[in-house]
Amino acid sequence: MILLKMAFRELLIHKKRSVITVLLCAFSTALFIFVNALNDGSHKQLIRSSAETYPGYMQLTGRAFEDNPNYDNLIFDTPRIQNILKDQKWISAFSARFESYALYATDEQSIGGMFTAIEPESEAEVSRLKRSLVSGEYLSSKDTNALYLGVEFAKRLKVKVGDALSFISTGADYSFAADHLIVKGLFKTKLYEFDNSAAFVNKSYFDEVMHSTDSATHIIITPAEISQIDAVTQRLQKVVGGEIEVKNYKMILEDLVLAMKVDQIFSYITLAIFFVVIFFVVAIFAFLSVYARIRQIGVLRAIGTTPGQVMQLLLLEALILGIIGVGIGGAASAHATHYYEEHPISFGFWGDVEIEEYYKQYNMVAEVTIPTQYNPPKIAVEMLIMLMLNLASVLYPMIILRRFTPIEAMRHV
Amino acid sequence: MKKVFFFMIISMEVFAITPDKIIKNVEHNLQSNNSYSQITMTVTTARGERMMKMESWNRGHEKSFIKVLYPKQDRGITFLKIDTTMWQYVPKIEKMIKIPSSMMMQSWMGSDFTNDDMAKESSIVDDYDPVLSLEDAHKYTLTLHPKENAAVVWGRITIEVEKVHFIPLKAIYYDEDGIRQRILYYSNIKVFGSRHLPTVMTLVPINKKNNKTVVRMDKVDFDAPIDDERFTKNALIRYSQ
Repeated sequence: MILLKMAFRELLIHKKRSVITVLLCAFSTALFIFVNALNDGSHKQLIRSSAETYPGYMQLTGRAFEDNPNYDNLIFDTPRIQNILKDQKWISAFSARFESYALYATDEQSIGGMFTAIEPESEAEVSRLKRSLVSGEYLSSKDTNALYLGVEFAKRLKVKVGDALSFISTGADYSFAADHLIVKGLFKTKLYEFDNSAAFVNKSYFDEVMHSTDSATHIIITPAEISQIDAVTQRLQKVVGGEIEVKNYKMILEDLVLAMKVDQIFSYITLAIFFVVIFFVVAIFAFLSVYARIRQIGVLRAIGTTPGQVMQLLLLEALILGIIGVGIGGAASAHATHYYEEHPISFGFWGDVEIEEYYKQYNMVAEVTIPTQYNPPKIAVEMLIMLMLNLASVLYPMIILRRFTPIEAMRHV
Repeated sequence: MKKVFFFMIISMEVFAITPDKIIKNVEHNLQSNNSYSQITMTVTTARGERMMKMESWNRGHEKSFIKVLYPKQDRGITFLKIDTTMWQYVPKIEKMIKIPSSMMMQSWMGSDFTNDDMAKESSIVDDYDPVLSLEDAHKYTLTLHPKENAAVVWGRITIEVEKVHFIPLKAIYYDEDGIRQRILYYSNIKVFGSRHLPTVMTLVPINKKNNKTVVRMDKVDFDAPIDDERFTKNALIRYSQ
């Protein structure tokens, strides 16, 4: 207890030194936590945007569909699979799709593109297709001959909402399929290439003209807890059987996930450098503070204070300053990360370059706002790391101090 | 002595044949100025079999006209090919559609043949350099490599040609990575005047297990009179009926 009192008194006597140490500690803690939260938030945002734009968090396909995406490797018993999915409490939504290819023809020209059937109502729960509507209307489950078209594709076809066009394609039974369509709505996602080639119709209509009843190329699934996606993938694979392949976004968006891992590694390297810098700044500051007190410590030793008690005193001082600094920094950064999670930071422009246009040329999802990820347990761990770092920074001065005898210390100038 | 001299002449003639000449002979054997044929195409997939019947009119390599007769729901669909351009008329939607280049590798009428096979957008004579890679007593084996800047879809093609009448026996198509994609077998050779023609072609795609497309020529009439009007876009609608 007496050591604690001495520690407090020492800190109060050297107010300037204590305040600088606390500010240094608070600033580095806040920066560390905020940068990490921003990093996590941007990755989460990118995954969300990429998965929700169209591919979905999880996909079911026929076992051989990935290697041979043809009509012989479809999901042929979609209603049975959908019935299984209905009973799974760890799934929040699912929707069947049939992806095909068609030649679209207007009076002026003919252009090839995707021809995909969706279940309009449930599709709205697994992707952002409905939310991407920019003109006209989204599809409904009663629609026939209605086309939901990407804006860039519409430009190429030179059609607008209400215009008629025709398609020819190969039905699921390899028969010839053709019909007239009316453009019901136009959509715009953040994927330029997708907007440039994708078109959707209501699945019940599609099944009729393409002879694909009960068949699907994909069933898209949103798990109840995205953080549990690996476990859900494993469970689902057991439930649906070996003929169906279950994939989650980590497999579907493999390149993106890999790129994010690389980015994460670079972030860790940056943080490691940050740690080293912070550690040495605090350590040097602690060293100078301790060095200035060698005579005082020599006196303490001379009047009977043991080397262990001196070490305890220095550690207590570092602990008190660390707790205050880390507390302030942690609280400030927690508040900031919470705020920027609700109000993401906007990066619409990078100098004169519009970010969305910049990403478009690489056919990547352009995110002009980046949220932080507010994660209290993670913040607590990061605060603890910073506190340990502060305590570690006084170890070297303590080792130096042990080399001095009381007489040497008292004579030290 | 006379016999020896004659043999030498013949040997030199045979020895002198170039890969280009072999390919040209094959094309010459298969084509005529005008021809009419009735065709049955059977598409077999893992899930079943589908049959189509068609009539075809051809003028050399450049022009062809196809009309679908069967099945009933597809009856009247017509195709016109002039040089490397292909149009299609679909009675159901009453629309004439030009098949764009981007669709050339798409399936033709649900078969394993592509639009490119029908349009012959890439010609084996004009777009490939043949190299004689093997020769035995009965056949030549040629490897066709795409010419520089040729807009072709295959990385290379190997073709086996029967030596006496230049009848194609088998063609293997490889992609740009040198992986086999499909094999076309020619069989049931029949004689039509001076021509020896394989009347059955079986296309087997490598990556589609259990799939094949068999085209059988039920009737062939070489040098049949064909009206010029047959090879116009108007004919697509007129002869669709």
